[in-house]
Amino acid sequence: MEFDKKSLLKLGKLARISISDDKLNNLSKDLNSILEFVDQLKEIKTDQVDPTSNSLNQKLEVRDDKVDTKNSAEDILENAPEKEMDFFVVPKVIE
Amino acid sequence: MVAQMIEGWNLVIGIEIHAQVNSKSKLFSSSPTDFGSKPNSQVSLIDAAMPGMLPVINKFCIEQAVKSGIGLNAKINKKSIFDRKNYFYQDLPQGYQISQYKDPIVGEGFVEIETENGQKKIGVERLHLEQDAGKSLHDQDPNFTFVDLNRSGIALMEIVSKPDMSSPEEAVEYVRKVRSILRYLGTCDGNMEQGSLRADVNVSVNKPGNELGTRCEIKNLNSFKFIHAAIVYEAKRQIKLIEQGESVNQETRLFNTQSGETRSMRSKEDAHDYRYFPDPDLLPLTLDDDWIKGLQDTIPELPDQIKERFINEYSLSSYDANIIVSDKATSEYFEDVVKNRNPKLVTTWVTGELFSILNKKNLIIEDSPITSKQLGELIDNIENGKISNRQAKEVLEEMCESGKGALEIINEKGLSQISDENEIESLVDNVLNSNPENVKKYKNGKDKLFGFFVGEAMKLSKGKANPKIVNDLIKKKLSQ
Repeated sequence: MEFDKKSLLKLGKLARISISDDKLNNLSKDLNSILEFVDQLKEIKTDQVDPTSNSLNQKLEVRDDKVDTKNSAEDILENAPEKEMDFFVVPKVIE
Repeated sequence: MVAQMIEGWNLVIGIEIHAQVNSKSKLFSSSPTDFGSKPNSQVSLIDAAMPGMLPVINKFCIEQAVKSGIGLNAKINKKSIFDRKNYFYQDLPQGYQISQYKDPIVGEGFVEIETENGQKKIGVERLHLEQDAGKSLHDQDPNFTFVDLNRSGIALMEIVSKPDMSSPEEAVEYVRKVRSILRYLGTCDGNMEQGSLRADVNVSVNKPGNELGTRCEIKNLNSFKFIHAAIVYEAKRQIKLIEQGESVNQETRLFNTQSGETRSMRSKEDAHDYRYFPDPDLLPLTLDDDWIKGLQDTIPELPDQIKERFINEYSLSSYDANIIVSDKATSEYFEDVVKNRNPKLVTTWVTGELFSILNKKNLIIEDSPITSKQLGELIDNIENGKISNRQAKEVLEEMCESGKGALEIINEKGLSQISDENEIESLVDNVLNSNPENVKKYKNGKDKLFGFFVGEAMKLSKGKANPKIVNDLIKKKLSQ
């Protein structure tokens, strides 16, 4: 699979990472070599195998519907760069 | 108006309903789900996506999803997978929503709705479990957005319909029906004002015989009225575009509840690329047959079944039965009252007088000022002839105001109807004896005077005489 500059810029945009022009070439080369490496997996025949989303041979752990409040609004807001009236404050999202 | 504008066009409507699971704690954390709490007071480290936190699924939510699936006549998938839906937004701390993509917990099903042309089956494509996002407040500050994560991580069931609806009315009926089924099951409280149930509506238009049009999605409609209005507006907008030779863009739109218009939210160009992949923190969810069977046995009687029973057991019309069963609390109230009483009378009083009082006071039946027992007592007094229908209405109003019982009010006001035949006979004799001229005219063919005699007798009894007995006695006496 070829990873062109356009796809790279799109990926950057989706991840909210700005990629400067001088880094585009090297990044695209790096990503392509990673993809080539992973592409080796395609050599394995899997048409007779069910898709596996997890390789652990275990059942999903479940919990009971019980409320357990371990932290207050103050605790959770402690790490917030900006806060006001118990809200997280972020730059305006819509005009 | 709507019909005129849309005549000659097909409407194709599909709906995604987001229904909040009626659980005490969140889908993957033990934070509470109470509505209206202090901002960010129900946020665990998992909900805030602190590094290293791992999700553990709530068993109750799995059960509610499966029960809902059974209620929607749907296939329960014994293996389902949780995926990450990746996007950046300030109310989504993880940077992804845990949802289900290719392998949802519930597959295809259907619900039946009433339409102008009878019953119609609306297909359900799937039901899957996912996390709700936090809430953004954009109007608190001119330069900043405020974020409350209390809702972040609450369990939602997303119910996706097939594009089987062809009018705004059908769309509303479908959402009503799904909501009613979830409320009967107790899996979602259906409170639309609080956002426990909201709908995204997909609308497209096309000329009959032509291929399907491009669809637009209108997000986050939280009332039946808005669902209807948004579809009407959107269909007209699309028809106008096409008639002007323009084309419809596939896009997500928002409905403005003030203006009744929809406006573009995001267009295809920056359409999301969610890059779904199985969440490595969560193993596939597997269900076994015995467990599903066990849940099946807990499914209560659902609206369609109750409707059929009411029609058979109490000879209700399909129309009346539909009104009564559409809401769980109403059907329970009705059944409380109808036991050992005349179903026709009970139906009239519940759907007529009681509903009009509730409407006037803007109350739901759960908060009715008249309990089912009180209404029953009132109806007993109509059935045994103690008061007339007209008097009963007066008593009901008084019951609402004072909270007193029917019998107490009847006694206090001296309302009770005279049903004693001897007593009424003497009234009737009195009337006939004091109007010999009119009696003679009546006997000579002036039929109209019958009403006069009844009126006089009622007047004499101060309106308390049982009108049916008065009628019968006068008829009998005059034909002698």
